[in-house]
Amino acid sequence: MAFAAPQNPSRVHRIPQSKYIDAVRWLSPVSALDRFAAVAYYDTDTNSPSIEIICVDPNPQASSPILTPQSSWTPPSRISSLKTAHSTHQPILAAATFSGSIHILVSDLINGGTVESEATVSELGFHSGPVSAVDLREGGTECVSVGEDGRVNLVSFVGDSSKLSYRRIFDANGLVGYTAVKWASPSEFATGGYGFGLQWWDQRRPGGPVSQFKGNWCQGKTSGIVHSIDIHPSRKHTCLAGGSSGTVFAWDLRAQQQPIVLSGAGTGEAPISLLSESEVWEVQYDCYTRSSNIGDISSTRILPIMICSEDGILAVIEQGEEPLELLAEPCAINSFDIDQQNPSDVICSLEWESIAILTRNRTTNDFGFSIERPSFFWPVYLELLIVQYDYETLQESDNWTSVVTRK
Amino acid sequence: MGLMVLLIRVSGGDLLDGGVHVDDDADLDTRWCCEVGAAVYPFHHGLKSPISRLSISWSRGNSLRVSVFAAPSSVESVEDDAGGTVVEVKLGGGDGEISDAHWRRIAYGSVSPFALLQSRKNAISSLSKMSMNSSPYDADWWDYIMEYSKDINALLGSQKPASVPVIDDPKSVIVKGEEPTNLKAAWELLEMFYAEKPSHLCLPERLVDWLADFDSLFSGTHPTVHSKLVDFQKELVNLQVVEDNPKYWEVMSSALAVGWLDIVVKMLRLHGSYQLDQLSNRETENGLVEAVAVLISKMPRMRLDQEAGKLGECFKAKPDFVKAREKWRAQINKLDSSAFWFQCAHLQTREGLRSMLQIMLGNANSLCSATCHWIELYISHLLYIRPLTVGLESMYSLAQKSIQLKPMASAHRLMGLIIGILGENTEVVLAECLKGFGPWMVVHAIELLTAGSDHAEMLLLEERPNLGGINIEELHRLVYAQVLSSHPLTWQIAPIYLISCMKHGMVLLQILLSKQPVQHNQLLLKSIEICRLYELHSITANIMKIAGVHHWKHGRKGSGVFWLQQARDEYRLNRIAQQLFDSVGKTISDESFKQWEGLIQLLGSDSKTAGGLEFLHKYRDFKKSLQHVFDGKTTDAARRAVESLISLMKNPSTPQRFYLPLLYDSLKLLNWKDRPLLNVSQTNLLLTKLQDLSLARLRPDFIESELPPQALNSVRLALATNLGRAILEE
Repeated sequence: MAFAAPQNPSRVHRIPQSKYIDAVRWLSPVSALDRFAAVAYYDTDTNSPSIEIICVDPNPQASSPILTPQSSWTPPSRISSLKTAHSTHQPILAAATFSGSIHILVSDLINGGTVESEATVSELGFHSGPVSAVDLREGGTECVSVGEDGRVNLVSFVGDSSKLSYRRIFDANGLVGYTAVKWASPSEFATGGYGFGLQWWDQRRPGGPVSQFKGNWCQGKTSGIVHSIDIHPSRKHTCLAGGSSGTVFAWDLRAQQQPIVLSGAGTGEAPISLLSESEVWEVQYDCYTRSSNIGDISSTRILPIMICSEDGILAVIEQGEEPLELLAEPCAINSFDIDQQNPSDVICSLEWESIAILTRNRTTNDFGFSIERPSFFWPVYLELLIVQYDYETLQESDNWTSVVTRK
Repeated sequence: MGLMVLLIRVSGGDLLDGGVHVDDDADLDTRWCCEVGAAVYPFHHGLKSPISRLSISWSRGNSLRVSVFAAPSSVESVEDDAGGTVVEVKLGGGDGEISDAHWRRIAYGSVSPFALLQSRKNAISSLSKMSMNSSPYDADWWDYIMEYSKDINALLGSQKPASVPVIDDPKSVIVKGEEPTNLKAAWELLEMFYAEKPSHLCLPERLVDWLADFDSLFSGTHPTVHSKLVDFQKELVNLQVVEDNPKYWEVMSSALAVGWLDIVVKMLRLHGSYQLDQLSNRETENGLVEAVAVLISKMPRMRLDQEAGKLGECFKAKPDFVKAREKWRAQINKLDSSAFWFQCAHLQTREGLRSMLQIMLGNANSLCSATCHWIELYISHLLYIRPLTVGLESMYSLAQKSIQLKPMASAHRLMGLIIGILGENTEVVLAECLKGFGPWMVVHAIELLTAGSDHAEMLLLEERPNLGGINIEELHRLVYAQVLSSHPLTWQIAPIYLISCMKHGMVLLQILLSKQPVQHNQLLLKSIEICRLYELHSITANIMKIAGVHHWKHGRKGSGVFWLQQARDEYRLNRIAQQLFDSVGKTISDESFKQWEGLIQLLGSDSKTAGGLEFLHKYRDFKKSLQHVFDGKTTDAARRAVESLISLMKNPSTPQRFYLPLLYDSLKLLNWKDRPLLNVSQTNLLLTKLQDLSLARLRPDFIESELPPQALNSVRLALATNLGRAILEE
């Protein structure tokens, strides 16, 4: 396996926690100095889940950043999905649980990072069984939740009522189970499920998915489950999905039934570089990595993406390029989040009860200024500005462990 | 609130041998507990009414699940009082020194070094098989072992980093470093005796360093030099004239005896004669103090490297060391017999300094009185009397002598370990590791024990019939793997240890994987991933089948079908297909078709993976084409619909109970206005099927479809008419 190598090795800090980490998310900062993250913990000794707001102190003196817990909130059961909404004056969190409830939390970062439950849906008929995924709409007034029970619910929380109102968008009665969901626009969202199937929904056209990306496109060879979906705000026609067998593919709604496979399960054509053979738990567009292919920025090209996997890989994948491996851990990386304000920083939750914080080296671009722009600038900025980045040799050192565990 | 006391008598490793003692008022005879060696685990069950029944079973790991049932309340108190409760009782307090979370961190961290060492071992052994003459214990090998040991050692430190004071306090004699742990102390002992290249020449000095780091660990059970120092440190702040205090001299002698030269010199410099206002009238006294301080800091030491800032002069070669030591001792003797002592007016200083000289000269009595427990005495002997002790045999006899002089009042786990190591008794070392530090220690220490010693290797790797044909190494690995398996977070590293077990590892791994819960995808996929790594395809299929049935039972039909498809379990797919068809017959209408669409897409068109569910796919196609017929009424659409009807009826996977509904649905096709759409043979086929159906209806398990009663007759009529028209046409 050959990987493109980063020229400036990024700094990685692994901070042991004494609890299992189900999910981790950055919170949009309120000031330039403080950085906060939300972490969903699960304490196996006491069987108690919790969501904590932690302050990430980069701590230049000490060897690793210091995580200081600010406040904690106890959900009724373990967290199955955690999402945050940016661009509000206070960060909003949506947490879905294994017991089938959804909680909207509001964190006050100015006054000591407290977190409190704003509203809850836990009615009996909301979801039967766990909620497998939830997504908050940007701006934070609505969230959509899906489950393996085949229910798609829309929860809106305008107003002050502590009971949320929800609307059943669809109920597949368990004939289809959904495992991932992501908003595309205020009225559209995409879901994913078994057999690498994807569905496109439009609230303006109720009664079922408006478009389906047929499952089982690899014809039973290495079929699997979609674990995570991302949709870039500037390219709403492309739905990016990651799932079993190291599969990362994109579905361009304009080219209906042909997947663009970025990694993993081949379609029988030329072997695509295999980054990982196990579950890809999360995919996100990586606004830090700039496309190295300057000539081709047509809208059909998939923007650089970051993935994390069960076999401990955190990597950046670009269409037609060698993947760039950022981390190769001996244990699984369950989730990660790219800081939208400082896209060089990535926070990951590792299977072995620790949090890793990765800082990619800041490079100045050809124009001589450092690249740092608020998140809402990114999409446009990305299209306009093309910068060549070089990366140094990846240190070969720590790679044997992943080789050992991957056999 | 009821408090329950659970008594479990532990004997011979068999838990739950005794009984469970239930006592509602918790007034317990603790004396009895001590006599029978019972452990008491109090817990609250929170039930108000009296308890009628109690059930105890093993829960995950080291905990018991105690179900407490309340007596059915005879009174009409229909409160929302629970009828019972289930409490988990965790047995064993664990290691007080290391928390559970820290143990898990050690377990996680030691996976990589262990796996790396195993793969290197395998590489070396396959290499030595190829070239017969090369020795497996080459230079690289010792590097590997040392790397392994250092990696493990790095895990064992305390979690909190040592805080280094910015300003050096002249009165703080003890520098507080990292909080020492017994586990780290034990590992460092093993490392110095087994992992370092067999150059035992420097062992005495290594032991001196070891004691300097870990002497405080003995303070709990024994008096130690360290605790003396700590006590004196507290007093020191309030002392005006230190040299008048007899403890000052006593503590310094003790520290000198165990070789903590820096501390001694630092303390000597606190002597009052150094103060500027007294320097003039205590000149001789100050000269003597300084002379001793210089002698101490010039002490020759036989060691490879010296940490910066540590005192003493290092010598790597034996002859140089012997020469320097003779010179140094001559200087001490000269000072001891000098006339300056008579000019020293301060009694305590004179006596104190001279007793320190005695220690440096190796006076056995002085050493014995300066040290607190036998290890300290042993170290002082190694430092001042027999610095050239080589070989474990002579070290062991010296240790025996020290123990005679200072008998152990109570055993300490580190002391037992040291005796085992010095006595070259591998079994004792293993037993002490297991008793004092648990299965993790044994598994990882065996790697060091077998590293250089053929004897230990033979002992540990010999297959034993009384252990079921496995060797001791495998036994301990299996035990450790079991410990790991019992925890929901560490079970996934157990496979690393299980596959290193030749005989039983694979079977136990299969059992472990088969027992993992399948409810949540993340866990399920992890099990499957481990199966994939070790090529356990049959286990994968089994897990998938279990998951499939689980999802199916809980109404998640899509997920169930997916997993059964992945497992290629045609048998179960066919079985669930029958159930699914029941609901299809009822619900598959044009409106609810969107629900089925997803499932049919998931099934794909490949009949091999879909099993009996293939019918659904064809049925959907037929329904679609029928829809076109009703919409457009074109003959082409009708022809297509007929084709899919015929293929459906021909297909053996089409359930008989669908024959009539299918035909009833296609009445319009059968009675097509323009011309007959079915030819003679096709009509005959349909008639045969209808015949089969009427035979099948006689069977008791036949499920009647919900159709109007005249349905059969109208189909028969339509078919007969069509047959007639078709014959005429031909």
